Amino acid sequence: MSKKQLMTTKITKYPPGEIIIWLFIMAELMVFGLFFAAYAVTRIDNIELFELYQQNLDTTAALYNTIALLSSSYFVVRSVIAIKHNQQQDSFKWMVLAIIMGLVFIIIKTDEFAHHVSNGITLSTNTFYMFYLSLAFFHYLHVILGLIILSVIARNINKGAYSAKEYTNVETGASYWHMVDLVWLILFPLVYVM
Amino acid sequence: MKYTSQMVAKPYFIAAIGLFVGQILFGIIMGLQYVIGDFLFPEIPFNVARMVHTNLLIVWLLFGFMGASYYLVPEEAETELHSPILAKLMFWIFLIAGAATILGYLLVPYATLAEITMNDLLPTMGREFLEQPTITKIGIVIVALAFLFNIGMTILKGRKTVINLVLLIGLVGLAVFFLFAFYNPDNIVLDKMFWWFVVHLWVEGVWELILGSLLAFVLIKTTGVDREVIEKWLYVIIAMALITGLIGTGHHFFWIGTPGYWQWWGSIFSAMEPIPFFMMTVFAFNMVNKRRREHPNQPAVLWALGTGVMAFLGAGVWGFLHTLSPVNYYTHGTQITAAHGHMAFYGAYVMIVLAIISYAMPMLNGRKAANSAKSQIVEMWSFWLMTISMVFITLFLTGAGILQVYLQRMSDNPLPFMVVQDKIELFYWLREGAGVVFLIGLIVYIASFFIGKDEAEPNEA
Amino acid sequence: MSQAFTKSMARNIFYGGSMFFFLLLLVLTFDTVESLPQTDNRENLTAQVAKGKHVWENNNCIGCHTLLGEGAYFAPELGNVHKRLGKEGVIAFIKFRPKNGIPGRRSMPQFNLTDDELDAVAEFLKYTSEINTQNWPPNIQG
Repeated sequence: MSKKQLMTTKITKYPPGEIIIWLFIMAELMVFGLFFAAYAVTRIDNIELFELYQQNLDTTAALYNTIALLSSSYFVVRSVIAIKHNQQQDSFKWMVLAIIMGLVFIIIKTDEFAHHVSNGITLSTNTFYMFYLSLAFFHYLHVILGLIILSVIARNINKGAYSAKEYTNVETGASYWHMVDLVWLILFPLVYVM
Repeated sequence: MKYTSQMVAKPYFIAAIGLFVGQILFGIIMGLQYVIGDFLFPEIPFNVARMVHTNLLIVWLLFGFMGASYYLVPEEAETELHSPILAKLMFWIFLIAGAATILGYLLVPYATLAEITMNDLLPTMGREFLEQPTITKIGIVIVALAFLFNIGMTILKGRKTVINLVLLIGLVGLAVFFLFAFYNPDNIVLDKMFWWFVVHLWVEGVWELILGSLLAFVLIKTTGVDREVIEKWLYVIIAMALITGLIGTGHHFFWIGTPGYWQWWGSIFSAMEPIPFFMMTVFAFNMVNKRRREHPNQPAVLWALGTGVMAFLGAGVWGFLHTLSPVNYYTHGTQITAAHGHMAFYGAYVMIVLAIISYAMPMLNGRKAANSAKSQIVEMWSFWLMTISMVFITLFLTGAGILQVYLQRMSDNPLPFMVVQDKIELFYWLREGAGVVFLIGLIVYIASFFIGKDEAEPNEA
Repeated sequence: MSQAFTKSMARNIFYGGSMFFFLLLLVLTFDTVESLPQTDNRENLTAQVAKGKHVWENNNCIGCHTLLGEGAYFAPELGNVHKRLGKEGVIAFIKFRPKNGIPGRRSMPQFNLTDDELDAVAEFLKYTSEINTQNWPPNIQG
């Protein structure tokens, strides 16, 4: 697919995908938003504690994970564009790449969690870890759910279920995946960097 | 009625209404004990009256759910019930076990009941709502298993509709989570925590699946709206119920010795628990507005709409009022909780059972679709009497609760519990008055089964 | 291209969503059970406390009282009654309830507990008052 094709792909309807997924995305963002707000407010009250323990987090791993999710989102975009041009094989290829990058995220994040567990850190260790683990783990489960959705879509693309005429489900899955990505893009600076 | 085996629902419904009357009578007694402390003391102390009140509620709702299942599952599956005999047998076992348990509460001191039912072998008694002797609990499990087997086999051999499937998931969940009632560790924190796996995961979890499927059934039948549309709504509603309600369990883990993080998890998720109830209200009204026919049974439609609205108010709005942990810190274990409990149970579960009874009873009594116009008017009167008096019970208890919270927990000089109770006595009197109106409504409801019994039903418009 | 929201999609949201949150509940429950020793005062859970819990249950105390805010709202909160009355106070209160109640007042039944049972239930309430309840109730009145 050429760059030109990328530019000329029009959004034929708005919002893309099933309308219901946007209700879910809104609900999800609301929940994450509440958690983020709660985190930010609590951090102000416990600034020293938070800054101290934030240093224990593996920022490098989180950076790799950011790259993994961003590239994964990009691959999903390519997959959607491909299916809109009836290029099912390309679409499948991009989707598989997106899933692989999602799995990279899961592997790195699982390693981070394993590291915490081996150090005896739990939700009850202190307020910082309560928030960090809650947010990170809740997001982690979303990545897993998103990967399951993408896998089902990839399988259907491969079976030829979607085409330039019928690709709503691909867009739906893609929208969800972008939401998962977006949440991470807030989580990363808020919890790791700030 | 399409299948003769649906007839087994009838005794279940009659028993449900009978036990409902008992529940309300004991409610009136308790309400009076709130203001005349030594009323019926020491014959029926408050704890006994309360146990009878709450246990009768649970048992009659279970009778209602079972009757509803026996009525609706064959019709949905388009086949006769697997074993009507088993259903009849279980009816009598459940009724006798239930009656014996209630008599046990009333006739001997609770400690004696614990002793003669050998509670020490497997102690499960003496916890709120799970006061039944262990032997009764085992009986409940056996009845539930036989019931599930009967319903499951019927669904298996017949048409598999979404309504049947969701109902079955709800009923299986009901049985599975009841098993936590047998877990009673010496550690009170663990005990309390897993006690909620019965109570919360019932009423804010799997019971909502049962509620949803019964409501969907009544709406399909009375509005004639396309099944596809209704089933889609059903899936979305129960999805939201579990998505919010499962982690919403955390709103019970704020102050019972469980870790502090539940204040965040519980507040955030339970704050969204009104969503499925709101959707249910929208659903019910939407379907009735889009109706393709005027069903001659008007009260059934009224109950179905009523359950949407009242469940949203009672479970949704009144639940939200005190579910955020900073609020709940002050309201936990006060009359606010009682206010919420009353309207939520009435709106969500009492009304849906009455809706399905209202829909099914005319057919079970050999009519084509509805009772006579006269009977319907009486039934609709009972709807308004009970529903409005329940609104007032809730408002008065909320008033009592707000004062209680202020005087006992928030003012500069917090007063002792009993001093506060004396100060808010007026609200308890008003609540008792509303309770009496509720009882009158219930009597009118029962009268509707006998008034205009021999008159023809109104024609379908 | 169909824009309609299909039933199978609704079904997937139901199954997917419930499984997701059920698993999350299991994980959080597991974490809670693991960290309970920090808050539930189990180091003081003696045989006498366990016995007191049975006395508490066998007399259906929860039918009138709340314990850590759960139960009936007819009589005072007992999660902190040990702090309010002290062990001797608790025992005396239960022991000397008049058999026929107090005229016109909410009355607690006379349960005829043995001295050992009285001691056990008081120990149970002492143990309960030492559970870390995140500072609930707001004040001594419960």
